[in-house]
Order: sequence, then structure tokens, then C-alpha cells
Amino acid sequence: MTGADVTAVAPALILAVSAIVAGLLSQRPTLPGLRWLGALSCAGSAATTMAFGAGAPGFAGSVARDGTGVFFIVLAAIGAGAAIVLDPGPRHGRRAEVTSLLLLSACGAVVTVSAADLVMLLAGVALLTIPLYPLRRDGDAGRAVRGASSVAAVAYGVALLYAATGETGYGAFGRATHNPLYLSGLALVAGGLLFLLVLAPTERWSVVVTAAAVGALLRVGAATHSGDMSVNWEVTLAVLGGLAISIATVAALTEQRLRRLAGYATLLQLGSVATAAAAFAPPAAAFALSVSTASAIALFAAIAALRVDEPLLLDLAGLARRRPAVVIGLAVALAAVVGLPPTAGFIGKIYVFEAAVRGQLLWLVILGALAAAGSFVAYARVVLACFAAPPIGAIAAPRARVPSFVALLAALAIVAVGLLPGPLLEAASAVRF
Amino acid sequence: MDRAVIAAVLWIPLIVLAACALPIAGLARVLAVLSGLATAVIVATAAWTGYGGDWTGTVSWAGPLGATGAIGGSGWTAALLMASGVAFAAGAAAGGDLPRPRAFFALWSVVQVAIGGVLVARDLILFVAFWQGLIVPLALLMWLWGGADRRRATIRLVAHWMVADALLLTGVLALGVGAHTFAVADLASYRLGAGSQVVLALLFLAAFAMRLPLFPFHTWSPRATATAPIPVAIVLVCVIPAIAIFGIATVCVPLFPKAMLDLGPYLMGLAAVGALYAAILALRQRDLRALVAYAGVSQMGLVAIGAFGATPNGLQGALLGTVSHALAVAAVVVLVAALASRTGSFGISTHGLASQPVLAALFVVALLATVGLPATGGAAALILVLTSAFARAPGIGLLASLVAIVSAAYAARAMRSLLPSPTEVRGHDLGWGERAIVVSLLAIVVGLGLAPRVVTGLADRDLPASTERSR
Repeated sequence: MTGADVTAVAPALILAVSAIVAGLLSQRPTLPGLRWLGALSCAGSAATTMAFGAGAPGFAGSVARDGTGVFFIVLAAIGAGAAIVLDPGPRHGRRAEVTSLLLLSACGAVVTVSAADLVMLLAGVALLTIPLYPLRRDGDAGRAVRGASSVAAVAYGVALLYAATGETGYGAFGRATHNPLYLSGLALVAGGLLFLLVLAPTERWSVVVTAAAVGALLRVGAATHSGDMSVNWEVTLAVLGGLAISIATVAALTEQRLRRLAGYATLLQLGSVATAAAAFAPPAAAFALSVSTASAIALFAAIAALRVDEPLLLDLAGLARRRPAVVIGLAVALAAVVGLPPTAGFIGKIYVFEAAVRGQLLWLVILGALAAAGSFVAYARVVLACFAAPPIGAIAAPRARVPSFVALLAALAIVAVGLLPGPLLEAASAVRF
Repeated sequence: MDRAVIAAVLWIPLIVLAACALPIAGLARVLAVLSGLATAVIVATAAWTGYGGDWTGTVSWAGPLGATGAIGGSGWTAALLMASGVAFAAGAAAGGDLPRPRAFFALWSVVQVAIGGVLVARDLILFVAFWQGLIVPLALLMWLWGGADRRRATIRLVAHWMVADALLLTGVLALGVGAHTFAVADLASYRLGAGSQVVLALLFLAAFAMRLPLFPFHTWSPRATATAPIPVAIVLVCVIPAIAIFGIATVCVPLFPKAMLDLGPYLMGLAAVGALYAAILALRQRDLRALVAYAGVSQMGLVAIGAFGATPNGLQGALLGTVSHALAVAAVVVLVAALASRTGSFGISTHGLASQPVLAALFVVALLATVGLPATGGAAALILVLTSAFARAPGIGLLASLVAIVSAAYAARAMRSLLPSPTEVRGHDLGWGERAIVVSLLAIVVGLGLAPRVVTGLADRDLPASTERSR
């Protein structure tokens, strides 16, 4: 291993080592500070990535170290840190185990987004999804099957692509010739990655999975967009984006379950990401995804503050009086989802729509802008539910300092980027293919 | 106006917002009143001493998006900042007995910043940011402090505004991406084809007509005005229409001169029909606040005729009408609230105000000022608008003159509530605080009627070149 190899995998290594340490500690009784150490190692991984920055790829080109990788690794690490800190407590398995599994999954996310080789991609996707199987809530055995089918699809796809091109590097896509094996392999890989997006949209770790899957999809998509067998993704992406925006808006209008609403919020923003990608604007896609990550963190923090397994809108009643910090976080996050100023969501919306206008996708702009009106009504219900009077005899939820802190921090970040978008816009402009 | 004046306009409400965090009872409201007055005074001093001239500058914000961050102020900006400052001060002063005043005036200050931002933004992205930034605090104010019907009213208002804003945003992006700039000054010299001008102008006008509100987009207004708390009702009937007219006169007219010329007669016709229709509907209202809302739709329809006409007279009349309507209606709303607090309802029935002579007298004057009593700003504006309308399309001028008659009828109907009746209203006459608000508002309105040049001169300062053609 050369120095460049170590630099390329350093973020993943930090996460893997801390996952192993946390796993070893899981034999001991619960350690209250462990989740903070887990979050610290996520922050360390993100800081290392930013400190090293872009540079030469490692392991003979199979681990990329470009601006795209940096951006998505930082997103995934922040999401993982939030997911670890928002652990609802010992009721859902022992804390050290949960921290260890989430760190392993984050390690998989880092490998997935920096993979420039099909074998690395497969390893990353497996490492990303398998640790999440045991983290299911009661009565949701189907998720293990869904996760496994996602890995299986990517595995079959990788095998077919190798058979078609004889190589495993992404560079081989550009040299591919007309071959049904190639196309079906590509479809399986893309399908497996897309499947990751719907794996667990209602769980707090969905931010990690989403960042990883979008990063990998953008990279694979860009690699196939060259050579003789250039695949045009624009129409597919535009249609998928339009569908995501419409479904998320309409479904959110009547949804009562908060976890589902958070899922629809993510789906709505993924629609924006797809719009930007269809318009060949990776920076806009990356910016929209970072807004989505921040708002999802705030939403899941609010859900964690409620201490209810399947919270409904009714459970929010009285929250404005009891937990004003959570309500502020929730309101800012939902304003960002809808794309209202002065949140980062507005900047993201303008960025994506500008790209779409340039890419001749005016219909998607109109659809997206109208969807903002619909989703405003849908998500205004959530914020206003917090101001309702709590039912008589309701038992006040226990204190929720950590979720309040996370929600407020995410809200602060969203507003700060909305007011001073320069630095994040600059970071996003490094995302290119 | 230069950078210092614009900074004052935006920072004074922000300081009030920060001060709302202090746990001192009563401080928030006093500061909110002072912030409105301070804005008006600073802008007035700058505008009439010519300080800073028609300064434009930039703020650095979202550069990579193509937003130039251009800000600046001209005659229209100055006049409407003054009017909105006075309206905000009157509104804050009228909100005496609101629960949770610190939270209320915190959101109130955000609305004030957003309105100030709309009026100084000379970059379309910045304009849209402030334009949409208004919605959330306003919706929260309505939802949390509104009356019985607040849920439906708020959702209806938000849904209407957001759909119209979607079209505005599409138009802004289509125009700006094509022209490679979002600065209004640069876009004004960017020549578009006639067809694209019409399409883009309609996208922009959708949002402006929605907030004006122009018939047939007015359906959110009466319900919202009738359920909003009194200060917010003042914003809805005084300030929101002002920024809509501002958008038409300083964005649509200079950016799409050809389209506004072509669409002018149709838009003027629509505005005239809407003004007449709303005036007739105002005749049939039982709730005084709904009556005020319909009267607002009707009067702003008249003002819009002037703005759509885009002649120098029309634009002068539009600005004067907007300012004078905002102040007169603010006085009416304050008086309606005072009346309702004594009778216990907002309904129109005979109340008998023999023991409240000041309230009765001021109510009559304020109502007449709203419908354009001679020697008020409204009358001067009406003359300017009608001159412009008769010059462009005499039929529309005739229709607009009819509105004046119907408005006299609904004003008379509202005055019916003051007629002597066997059941005299109990309670004191108008308090000194309310008297001060109403008398100063009406004094400005009468002053504008006597010396309309004060405001119309400001409108002349930034006559777009296009209006010369239509003379």
C-alpha cells in the first residue's frame, strides 16, 4: 500500500476502526458517552476527507479521490453522525451495538461513493446495507429481504458488466461495445442502487443510504455517458424526477404518519436532484442533496424527540409549548423542503431550476414550482399541528435535550446557508464529471 | 437613497426582532411602532432632500446562482417605503391587547423586513426571495392569532399565493437564464421578442395580480381580512397591494414595455370590471372587515387601471392612489376594530354612537377618504387614473367612473352602522392613542389631496422610457 492508497481510504478506515472498537465495547454494560465518540469519529472522517481534499486515486484507480467523492463522503459522514446521536435509547437494542453497526454502514457509504471500480462498488453496497438489517424496528422483517435484493441486483449487474467488458473499472464503460449483456448489467446495477433509495426512507439512517446511493448513481451514470455505447439518461431521469415530485407531493397531502412524511420530503428533494442530474448540472444536484440531508436530519431529530414508535401528527400537539427548539427545527427544515426563503432550500430550488431552464426542461420547473405550493400545504399541517392544544390528560414526553440540540443545529445550518450560500455553492461546484 | 438609508430600512426591524427576545412586557409593541415610524421618517428625509439620489448598489449574496444582488431605491421605492412604514406603525399601535406580544411582534418584524426587501431589491432573484419570504411569517401570524375561521383562511391564502409565485419564479428564471442576468437595470435594456414578452409578462402578472388582488384572483382576500388579527388585516389591505402595484410599475412596465402596451387595454378592462364587481359585492357584505376587503379590491382595481395604462399620468395616479389608499384604509381598519370592541361584533347594524362623537366623526371621514372624497389623496389619484384611462380607452374610463358611484353607496351603507338607534353603544369614546393614529393617518391623506405633487413628483423621477411612446 502506498501513501496515496492510505490517503484514499483514510475516511473509510477511521470509520471501520471505530466501528470495531465500538463493537468490542458492546460486551460491556451500556456506555452513555459512546454515541458521542461515534459521532466524533464521523466528524473526524469528514474532517480528514476535507483536509486531504481531491487528489490522485488510490489502489490503481479503483478508489477515486475527487471533488465529488469529498462532497458525498462529508454528507454521508454528517448523516451517520446524526443518526448515531439520535439513537432512541436502550429500548431498541444496546447502544454500543447500534453505534457500531451504524459506523460500519457509514464506512460502506464512504466506499460506495468513492468506488471507481465495480468490485469496490459491490463491497461498498454490501457493507452499507448488511449492518442495517438488525436495526429494524419490531415487525418489519421485510426490510432484510429488500436490502438483500438490492445487494443481489448490484452483484448480478457487476457480474454481467464484467462479462460484457472484461474489466471492472468504471473506465471500461466508455470502451463498451453494443452488447445486451452490458445494457442488462447496467440496468441491474442502476436498479440496485435506486432500490437503496427506497430501502428505509422512514428511518433516521436513510440520510446515509441516500447520500451513498445518489453519489454512486451520479458516478456510474457519468461513466456510461461516454464512448461508443453512450447511454442517455436525461429522459429517464427527467421522467423519474417528475414522478418523484408528483408522487411525493400528492401523497404527503393526506399522510398522518410523521415518518412517512419525512420519507416523502426526501423523495420530493430527490426529485430535484434527478431534475438537476437530467439537466447535466451535478453541482446543483449535490447542493440539493445537501439541503435534503440537513432537512432530513432535523426531521428525524424531531421524530426522535417525540419518543413514540410510529408518531402521528396528533402526537405533535403541544410541542410548541414544551419543546420550542424542536418546533423551530421542524419548521425550518420543512421550509427548506418546500424551498422557501431564507432557507438553503430556496437557494437549492433556484439553482436546480436555473439548470433545468438551461437544459430545456421548463416543464419540470413548472411542475416543481407547483409542487412547492402543494407541499407547502402538506407540510404546513405538520408545523401547525405543533401549536394545537395537547389532549387533556396527556403525559408530557421525557426531556429530549439531544434531539432538540440536533434539530436546532440543523436548522441553524439551513438558515446560515440560505443567508450566506457562497461557501457551500463553491464546494458543490467541485462536484463534476 | 443610498446604502445607509437602505441598510436602515432593513436593519431597524431586525433590531426590533432581536429586542423581542428580551423579556420586557410592552417593549416589543413600542419598538414595532417606532420602527415603522423611523423607517418612514428616514426615507422621507432622504427622498425629499435628494440625499443619495437614485442610488443603486449591490450586496454579495448567491453570486454563483447569477444573482447580482442589486439593491437601490427610486421614487416609487421611497413613496411606498414611507407608506408601508406608516401602515406598519399604525398596525403595531392598533395591536394593543394581543396575547403573546413578543412572539407576535417578532414575526411582525420579519414581515416588515421582507416588505422593505421587496421594495429595495433591484435583482429579480433577490426580489423573489423577499417576495416569498413574506409568506411564512404572515401565515403564522394569521394562524396563531387569527379569528374563528383562521385555518381555512390561512390555507386558502397560502395556496393561492404559492401557485401564483410558482408562475413568477418560472418567469424570472426563464427571463434571467435567457438574458444571462437577473438585474432589473440590465434586463430593461435586454430586448425580447413581442411573443416572449407577452408570455413572460403574463407569468409575472399572475403573481402581482394575485396579491393586488385583481379580480378574479381576489377570493383569498375577504376571508383572510375578516379573520386576521387587526394589525395583520392592515398589512393585508394596505401593504400587500402596495408591493403588488410596485411589481407591476417597476418590474413589468420597464421589462416588458411592448407586452404591457399590447396587453394594456385588456388588463385595464379586467381591472375596471373587477373594480365595479368588487364594489357591488362590498354593498352586500354584513361583516365590516369583509366590506373593507372588497372595498380594497375595488379601489386597488382602479389604481391598477392607472398602472396598466403605463402612461405618465396613470403611473402617477397609481402611486398616489396606492399611498393614499393604504393610509386611509389603515385608519378605517383601526376604527372598525374600535367600533367592534364597543359593540362586540363586526356586523353592520345600527349601533347609535351618540355618546361617542369622535369615533363617529372620524369613521365618516375615513370612509369617505377611502372612496376618494375630494381634497383627499384618493380624489387626486382618481382624476389622474381616469385621465389616463380616457386617453387610452374611453369605454374603460366610463366603467371606472361608475365605480366611484357604487363606492359612495357602500360607504354610505357602512355609515349606516352609526345611525341613531334605541340601543345606544356603551363604552368610552375613542381613546387618545387611537385618536392619534387615526387623525395622523387622515391628516396625511388630506395633505396628499392638497399637495399631490409631493408623491407624484416621486413617480416622475423614474419614468421608464417606454411610457414616452404611449403619450
